Amino acid sequence: MHPKRKRNLAATVALLPTWFAAIVVYIGTMVWSIRLSFTDSTLFPSSNYVGFAQYAKLFSSSKWIASLQNVLVFGVLYVAGCLALGFLLAAALDRKVRFESAFRTIFLYPYAMSFVVTGLIWQWMLNPTFGIQASIRSLGWESFVFDWVVNRDMAIYALVLAGVWQGAGLVMVIALAGMRGIEGEQWKAAQIDGIPVWRIYVSIILPQLGPALAAAGMLLAMGVIKTYDIVVAMTNGGPGSSTEVPAKFIMDNLFGRQNLGLATAGATVLVLGVIAAVAPFRYAMHMRNRPRGAA
Amino acid sequence: MASPHPNGPRPARLTAGSIGLYAFLVVAALFFLLPLYTMVVTSLKTMDEIRLGQIFALPATLDFSAWATAWSGACMGTVCVGIRAGFWNSVAITVPSVALSVFIGAINGYALSLWRPRGSSLLFGLLMAGGLIPYQIFLYPMVRAMANINLYNSVPGIVLVHVIFGLPLVTLLFRNYFVSVPEELCKAARVDGAGFWRIFFEIMLPMAVPMVVVVSMLQFTGIWNDFLLGLVFAGRDNLPMTVQLNNIVNTTMGERTYNVNMAATILTALVPLAIYFLSGRWFVRGIAAGAVKG
Amino acid sequence: MKTMMKLFLAGVALVAVLGPARAEDKPTIEIMSSWTSGGEAAALNVIRTEFEKRGGVWKDSSIAGFGAADAAFQNRIVAGDAPGAKQGVIGLAAADFVNQGLMNPIDDVATAGKWADTLPKSIHALISYNGQVYLSPTGAHGESWVFYSKEAFAKVGITEEPKSWDAFFSALDKLKAAGIVPVAWGGQAWQQTKVFNMVLLSQVGIDGFLKIYVDKDKSEASVEGVKKTLDILGKLRAYVDEGSPGRNWNDATAMVITGKAGVQFMGDWAKGEFTVAGKQPGKDYGCMIAPESEGMVYVADALWFPKTGNAETDKAQKLLAEVVMDPAVQVEFSLKKGSIPMRGDVDKSRLDACAQKGLELMSAGKIVPDQAIVLTPQQVGALDDFVDEFWSDASADAATSAKAFFEIFE
Repeated sequence: MHPKRKRNLAATVALLPTWFAAIVVYIGTMVWSIRLSFTDSTLFPSSNYVGFAQYAKLFSSSKWIASLQNVLVFGVLYVAGCLALGFLLAAALDRKVRFESAFRTIFLYPYAMSFVVTGLIWQWMLNPTFGIQASIRSLGWESFVFDWVVNRDMAIYALVLAGVWQGAGLVMVIALAGMRGIEGEQWKAAQIDGIPVWRIYVSIILPQLGPALAAAGMLLAMGVIKTYDIVVAMTNGGPGSSTEVPAKFIMDNLFGRQNLGLATAGATVLVLGVIAAVAPFRYAMHMRNRPRGAA
Repeated sequence: MASPHPNGPRPARLTAGSIGLYAFLVVAALFFLLPLYTMVVTSLKTMDEIRLGQIFALPATLDFSAWATAWSGACMGTVCVGIRAGFWNSVAITVPSVALSVFIGAINGYALSLWRPRGSSLLFGLLMAGGLIPYQIFLYPMVRAMANINLYNSVPGIVLVHVIFGLPLVTLLFRNYFVSVPEELCKAARVDGAGFWRIFFEIMLPMAVPMVVVVSMLQFTGIWNDFLLGLVFAGRDNLPMTVQLNNIVNTTMGERTYNVNMAATILTALVPLAIYFLSGRWFVRGIAAGAVKG
Repeated sequence: MKTMMKLFLAGVALVAVLGPARAEDKPTIEIMSSWTSGGEAAALNVIRTEFEKRGGVWKDSSIAGFGAADAAFQNRIVAGDAPGAKQGVIGLAAADFVNQGLMNPIDDVATAGKWADTLPKSIHALISYNGQVYLSPTGAHGESWVFYSKEAFAKVGITEEPKSWDAFFSALDKLKAAGIVPVAWGGQAWQQTKVFNMVLLSQVGIDGFLKIYVDKDKSEASVEGVKKTLDILGKLRAYVDEGSPGRNWNDATAMVITGKAGVQFMGDWAKGEFTVAGKQPGKDYGCMIAPESEGMVYVADALWFPKTGNAETDKAQKLLAEVVMDPAVQVEFSLKKGSIPMRGDVDKSRLDACAQKGLELMSAGKIVPDQAIVLTPQQVGALDDFVDEFWSDASADAATSAKAFFEIFE
């Protein structure tokens, strides 16, 4: 018993700085913003409590409701799109193609670019008056329509398109890192059995990449909640509030609109909502992994 | 043993499959490159040409002046030194932040997956929940805290902020990587009398080189491109390049020089781009060093 | 970890010791502004040059974009590390800071410089809180301008500036028929709100405008005025191109410059974009106040002076406040920024045709404040939302929306 406890002690000590950060910063901030969400704080924190007034105001704001719906649609399509395209790209690159390094850099470079300007480029490209639509029409296809970014019903998909452009490379590298770790024998065995290549990827490679792809998906999901730059640069939440997102709503109220109480109420709803949605999954995963137990 | 090279079968010459494969890659590459192409041609045009709105047209004459302006002449307020002013600040902020957070992330992932001391699940859950909070909401309390410990407006201060905000990402990636390491490896080492730290430094860290590369890349990009945290925490003498970039690009009522904006954006991204290009070798080498997955 | 922390702290202490030692005798001040683009920076440099000539030391902390600059400034205050001066609009946004006791008054400078006599009354009232002057105004922008391409107007045979909305719309019809985009529309909330305001002023007049925004008057006359405004705004939808949503104002200006579009509604800062493209006011493009308007909507910039607890900085703040209001600086600044001087007693001869028109309206008091001046930041946001919702929903009913308009004040 004794040596085991000692070893675990080392692990506990190693995690102390992280515990400290998690408790002081994450929990501390959460408590702070929950407290402020019950006050009438505007520019600076105040201690004048107003009960649930900020929450009532929040949920009577059509902009906030719209932002929740938008982030849900955007989030699902963005994560799915990045995972699918990223996996396909990784699988293609894993097949001993020429110029692999060049291709990999091409697929990954958008991730290195600040969205402040690439967002503007997407806005231009998708703008029907100057962009792709106008160019294709000038080639003679007069009825060609590609006006997502200015169309209330489609603008959110324009964001998804630009988002996948930026995020797919991330999934590609993570998946590629995983694929490079898979043993060559498995390939040989599968090929001797005459299993077609696509089946090998779907039935043998994909399951083994589970944890890696789950991590990539989680990273993307974290990004979804914080989606801000891309929206500000491309649509600024418009047309109307068709691409408004919670992080932008919170940021606008935090500084420009000097509405600290409403901003913290929004943040609280967002975080508690996500935890409530994710917790059951995590719990299920935890139970499933349990037999594995502690090392 | 995993091979250090791509595993997939090399496509035979000119089969329908290989043509399809390359067609897919080329089409995808074109999709990814179109915005970059647009940026580059825009950066080489004069503003008179840009105003015409032919965004995909090649420039009438090559004009590199926007690049020179972006690097060394663009004004931010009354100071006109271009974005190079922030280059070394960005390096000074990014390098220690990445090194520290990757190191801490590797320890966290290793401890949380292979040792699981009491409270591991709770800590991991806390970090994941923390990773979901829009980070703007942290600004006020963090600024107060940093001012209280005298780290506000300093490089150590901004490094600490980046390390803290990077914790969820780095911990998640390393944990999910180490989860798939066979437990027997760890057990065997312990039977040999190796402790927590020795197993980490001698077995696990060398094995995790591909993940270290990936995590470093992601952290480097995230921190290099960060604007708001640098603006708020670094102090006016340590402002990163992105703050200069923002000053060039962003304006409400002023005129916009799009060619300079494009050049400045590409220049700012050059360092992460170079890292992406060079990291390929490390991918392969890291695996060769002994990844034992699957 | 511990030694590292010690090292950090030692470094910070070192900086703290070196900091004041460097401050010398010269009044030193750090200025936080969001003026970073060409004309804006040149204008800021006018102030800097004069400030340095009078012995001041200028430390520039420019951060582009209102949002980013506000975030940086508010966090500096929260950390107890306020800059010596901050550029911002005059109006209610500053009020909160003053009321919290975070700002230094510059009343003695204002009294010595007889600001009360040289500034329009309404402006002087706006920079004073509790009887003391706190802000030093740099210049004003007229916001209810219609810029038009002379070339496009000539091409379709429009010979004079339309004086009524009916004439204006028939001019737009002519442009449309000739295949020109009639209105270069910048589909961003803040730009749309400016159009709403200029139309509102043309419909309810100066008194009606102040009644609505200052007195929050909900009488039938006010509701009717808003409804007529929305009718005109709604009609404009038919004259913009499909690429307008989300468009930057200067992309819209480029459409007028290149003759792709006929007119643009914008503040006078758009002149800067024309100037950079080598276009002359009155020759290549025209500027007119929105049809049927008796006055002009304006927004004014000023420097704010936060308390820093440093006597040297206090001195520098007073010097800077004085420099900003210097008559020569006011004119030179306006020329660079494309704005209008705040003082009525300056040399008008060097201003361009548009600025002279603006200054006339300003000196005559025929001006109404922009919403940023008279509304709280929360209300400004609600107004942006309101106009944006109406504009982007072609089926919105003007009468119903006009009633809903007054909810922004709640």
